[in-house]
Amino acid sequence: MDEILAEYIRRTVLKIPRDEIKTVLQTWGFLSEAQLQTVNFHQIKENISQDVVRLCEENSADIKQAAVLDIIYNHIYSDKRVWSVYQMSKTGEETEFFDLTDFKKKFKRRLRSALKNVTINFREYEDNSIWIRIAWGTPYKKPNQYKSSYVVYHSQTPYVFISASVLKSTLPLLCQALVVASNYRDIREMELRSHSLNSLKDIVFKRYSQNFQTYYPRPLQERNVAPESADLRIVQENRHEKERIERVNRKVFGDGPQPKLEFAQYKLETMFKSDPKMGVLDKKEPFRCLVKFSSPHLLESLKSLAPAGMADAPLSPLLTCIPQKARNYFKIREKKGIFPGSFVSP
Amino acid sequence: MEEGKAYSPCGELSVWGAGCLPVLRPFEKLSQVVSLRICAEPPLFWVPQRRPLIITAWVFERVVLFLAGVFAHLEMLEARACEAATKKEETERQEEKLARLKARVEELRLQRDELQAKVDLQQKRQLGKEGVASAPAQPSAQAVLEWKIRSVEAMLQVFYLTGISGKLTKLGVCFCISTAYEGTYLDSYYLDLLTKPEVQIHRHSVPVFIPLGQIAKKYLQTDIRRFLSVLSDHLNAYAGRRYQADQLQEHFSDQIEGTLQRNSLCNLLVFNYNVLSKRKTFLFNVRLLYGDLCCSLPTEVVISCTPDAPASLAETAAAHSDLFRRVALHKAFRSFSSAEENMDGAP
Repeated sequence: MDEILAEYIRRTVLKIPRDEIKTVLQTWGFLSEAQLQTVNFHQIKENISQDVVRLCEENSADIKQAAVLDIIYNHIYSDKRVWSVYQMSKTGEETEFFDLTDFKKKFKRRLRSALKNVTINFREYEDNSIWIRIAWGTPYKKPNQYKSSYVVYHSQTPYVFISASVLKSTLPLLCQALVVASNYRDIREMELRSHSLNSLKDIVFKRYSQNFQTYYPRPLQERNVAPESADLRIVQENRHEKERIERVNRKVFGDGPQPKLEFAQYKLETMFKSDPKMGVLDKKEPFRCLVKFSSPHLLESLKSLAPAGMADAPLSPLLTCIPQKARNYFKIREKKGIFPGSFVSP
Repeated sequence: MEEGKAYSPCGELSVWGAGCLPVLRPFEKLSQVVSLRICAEPPLFWVPQRRPLIITAWVFERVVLFLAGVFAHLEMLEARACEAATKKEETERQEEKLARLKARVEELRLQRDELQAKVDLQQKRQLGKEGVASAPAQPSAQAVLEWKIRSVEAMLQVFYLTGISGKLTKLGVCFCISTAYEGTYLDSYYLDLLTKPEVQIHRHSVPVFIPLGQIAKKYLQTDIRRFLSVLSDHLNAYAGRRYQADQLQEHFSDQIEGTLQRNSLCNLLVFNYNVLSKRKTFLFNVRLLYGDLCCSLPTEVVISCTPDAPASLAETAAAHSDLFRRVALHKAFRSFSSAEENMDGAP
């Protein structure tokens, strides 16, 4: 075990909150239970990390195991990365028997044929997702483990969740390998990004609450209903209006919790419209501006705008179409309806 | 105990008055009285010392005959007593049960009376109340209508049990496809259709790997019934395949070696499992291919095992492969394990 690897394992351990280190190492499964018993997990993280490295040296760990530990860390703390959704497309419509071994083989072969110095690791999870970690090097340099790319793929779906490496030049290679391995023809970024990987999955896999109308009795979600005022002297003047807002809001957002997004960005390239007599900005140039909504939980906050009386119900479809359109980065031009996505073709 | 002639080997020998000392009538006056304690190896019969069996005998042969008679009689008496005791017990038990049931009847009667009284009271109150406003002897038309609406709504709710149910919306119709596998209800999926200007899918919650677009292209405009039934077949088959794989993982993980590899559609399952043969375990590698996406049974089964396995295992593999093709995965495994148990039971 070389020094670089030891340092990498040490730093990975340092990233984990102290109370969680033991569980993460147990999930990793590389160190035996007896070995873990010898580590005092109550000391400072610095010392824990050194103990772990010592044990890894005993077991002569290699880069493969270190990469698995890194994947486990990123799986548990996936919120620490920004994930972007890519959509793949193909001409034929035939459904395939997706074979994991085959996929891995093709993916590796494709990447390795372009770049010798890469570390590629896979890990499957119970929800049928495949996690791929790629550390990139150059023809003359060893892979940089600290600037890895992470890919989450669900077989037989056209969606890929990528948390790209800071090394931007590696993205086209990665996309190529993905397209080839999963038998697609094309891949493009969907303009949908978030820290919450699960919310992105909910959006593109249509698992978010959509409020379908049926006769099928579904268990009602518990809602926070404002307690009715017991004082008879207080008259709710706008009760009907309140009910209308409630109804409209339910129709747009549904009953359940919203997927978690942090941003919605609108790039406006529209003409400024004013009375021609006033002579304000009477140019044919589009009026460029960027509107960015940000919140720890954007869709929930949008949902609560109308009931709180801060906005008219219903909200603009530009805001409420986010999960439906599966994108949170928009470009608004004069002629609406065209949202070109950036294609990255292999 | 009844008095009777139980045994009489010859004219002179008879036993009377069971319970007291047997008397040998023809030899009453004879002086020779023999007291006997009957022993044998192993002891067959024992007469307590305190009440010795006194037998007057003239001829030893007769004594033997007499004793045989006594034994038989006692045996019979014992059997009778035993029978009587069980009978008595039985009747006692029945009586007890009867008493219990009677008490329960009484209790229920009381409850019924109480409830009846409550209902009467309530009806009286209601009548009193309604009497103030009006006196409707019959339920109003409004109430009847409401009741009818409620029952129709309940009926529509029940419709989801059929698998496909729909509700008209402002712009079209919203369908709900409920899936089930062998009597277990699984997930429901929704499909919001717009009907104008042409039928199109507005929103849906169908998993992305179900070829919805393909099915829609084929049938949506021309035959909506067909569209729904094909989609429902796809969803049910998918739910069934997934359910089987889940069941296998849940209940037979001890037999499975390593992980069960599957894809999103669950149309390819790969796993290894242990097979016991001649007190040795061998590993079978299975590849189940579900070629028909509307079917929850595999169309192709490939079982391979390690080269060092005995030839008899090939037969087992063939049998298993046949079973996988016909029976749900978890049921096939259940039958393997029961077969193994049977084999273990046999010497």
